[in-house]
Amino acid sequence: MSLLQLEGATIRFGGLVAVNNVSFSVEKGDLFGLIGPNGAGKTTCFNLITGVYKPTSGSIKFRGSELSGTPPNKVAQLGIARTFQNIRLFQSLTVLENVVVAAYLRHRVALPSALLYLPSAIAETERLKAEAMRLLEVLDLDRRAQVRSADLPYGMQRRLEIARAMATKPELLLLDEPAAGMNPQESDDLLLTVRQIRENFAMTVLLIEHDMRFVMNLCEKIVVLDHGIEIAQGPPETIRNHPKVIEAYLGEAV
Amino acid sequence: MYWPVRLASILAAVGGCFLLDALARGVDDYARRLIVLAGIWVILSVSLNLINGITGQFSIGHAAFWQVGAYTAGYLSVTFHGKWGIDGLPWMILMMALGALMAAVAGLIVGLPSLRLRGDYLAIVTLGFGEIIRIVVQNQKPLGEAYGMNVQPKFQTVWLVWLMAIVCIAVCRNLLRTAHGLPFLAVREDEVAAGAMGVNVTQVKVTAFLIGSAFAGVAGALLAHYEGFISPQMFKMEQSFIILTMVVLGGTGSITGATIAAVALFYLPERLRDAPPVTGAALLGGLIGTIVAVVLVKRTVDRFHGPKIGAATRYIGSVVAGIVLSLALGAGFGMIPKLASQSFEAEKLRMVIFAGVLIILMLIRPQGILGTNEFSLDWVKSLLRKRKAVEA
Ligand SMILES: Nc1ncnc2c1ncn2[C@@H]1O[C@H](COP(=O)(O)OP(=O)(O)O)[C@@H](O)[C@H]1O
Ligand SMILES: [Mg+2]
Repeated sequence: MSLLQLEGATIRFGGLVAVNNVSFSVEKGDLFGLIGPNGAGKTTCFNLITGVYKPTSGSIKFRGSELSGTPPNKVAQLGIARTFQNIRLFQSLTVLENVVVAAYLRHRVALPSALLYLPSAIAETERLKAEAMRLLEVLDLDRRAQVRSADLPYGMQRRLEIARAMATKPELLLLDEPAAGMNPQESDDLLLTVRQIRENFAMTVLLIEHDMRFVMNLCEKIVVLDHGIEIAQGPPETIRNHPKVIEAYLGEAV
Repeated sequence: MYWPVRLASILAAVGGCFLLDALARGVDDYARRLIVLAGIWVILSVSLNLINGITGQFSIGHAAFWQVGAYTAGYLSVTFHGKWGIDGLPWMILMMALGALMAAVAGLIVGLPSLRLRGDYLAIVTLGFGEIIRIVVQNQKPLGEAYGMNVQPKFQTVWLVWLMAIVCIAVCRNLLRTAHGLPFLAVREDEVAAGAMGVNVTQVKVTAFLIGSAFAGVAGALLAHYEGFISPQMFKMEQSFIILTMVVLGGTGSITGATIAAVALFYLPERLRDAPPVTGAALLGGLIGTIVAVVLVKRTVDRFHGPKIGAATRYIGSVVAGIVLSLALGAGFGMIPKLASQSFEAEKLRMVIFAGVLIILMLIRPQGILGTNEFSLDWVKSLLRKRKAVEA
């Protein structure tokens, strides 16, 4: 059984079919790339998987059970976490707090204990903070833990997005253009980090990326979308020489 | 060390309330009433801050929940008091609990649309709901229609009101001190991202409305039994705006800010009752002087990036310049007979002043006076540290 399986996933926005009959399977442990030109429907695919939109038709299965119609917070609880292409941090919260919000989905102490400031709630807060701190170390953000997230430099905001998603302890991590806007140095560092995350945390990663060099270096399997349609699927070598892909990326170095 | 500290702070809170109560016995009825009402406004402001400031749901009909609490306590007291064999404090506690419960139910009803509506749309729904409640009550015979109803027994203590205010503050503060407060803040910051991180946005919003409106209900029960009389006039839309102003002025999300702003905005206009009427000349002079002061302060905020001390001098200079200009212009306009002869009662200018304060705030410090800061030793320390850093 695949970890994530899309079968004929389709969504229509009025006249536009943003994702058109897309099928692919992500196996446990994969480092899977989802690529395609701007407006191809990649982010929309993530939105379908995470329950932001419900597919017009087709099915999306996670660990064999149907996802479509599940609200985003339930999807996160099931074990799928994501980052956002257009960074969506909780801006006025600190770096640490951003991560604790995500770790909170494993809270065990009920709200009334917190309102009464009982020892159990304090201990839980400490536990979640410590967990969050460990993730910040992995992403080299620990020294900025108390900084307002909006005040972080851009590259670090991107990394914080990843730390926050990981704090939900997902089985499947969806990264939406994690290297967008980064300089080559930052982008290379990120490449290493993503590899490290997958190995150390036994996570499956599905990644959207515009930077071809990044994807070709990192991913073992790739799906290519264009105008919502899946035009190719396979390992990097196949994708690199695929005529349809070359056509879709006309003018761009593949 | 947990329990000793905890018990000590609870004792300090209760003791402080009784001390305030004892002190308030020394002042006249009018002053004592002001102390009680200030406490009630603190509850209203801090509880709206939970919905509005902390969770970011733009609710502007808070007086409706206050009214539901007041009328629940009022109606039940008139109908059942003396029949259930309890009286005094236990009765008051029961009334507060039931007032809170009914207000929470109302909060749930308003909270539900907030699941679908955002920003301005939610504001309109909460505003409309507030008016609906007022008008429905106004047409109920058992509730005294537009005239209102007498509430017996009276329960007039300073300590209970302020203890409830402290409980309300403590609940909100505890929420923000633990990880459990973070989902509320996350919903305020970005609902979509919060949902994607596993936050149950629906549950968070409804919880905020439930707790916030329950405390407003408590404030209602306290008011009904303090005044011994309630009427729909006491819960007009204007009151909702005043509560909102307190939250915004204090710094959206800051509990300390909401508390201080509640006391200040309640107390200052009360002083206007005793103030002499103002002439048209003074009003016009004051207006122009204020505008000039605001422009000067705004220029400092926008363009001056020097040390804090230099900025402080400029702020004070701007305000002094505004006051001097107001006085001079007031005297100058006083020469014009038409302006000198017109007079306005100071109390009637209350809402104008509120509106003015809000506009000034939005221009100069849109995040509110305290921003999202809370008063604590750490905060004071960090301010001092910053100042040292600037001076160095
Ligand atoms: N909520 C929406 N309503 C209407 N059109 C949308 C919506 N979301 C995405 N689209 C459209 O779907 C197409 C695919 O968008 P997207 O998935 O963001 O592309 P990308 O591959 O660059 O991430 C675009 O044409 C976009 O305008
Ligand atoms: Mg995209």
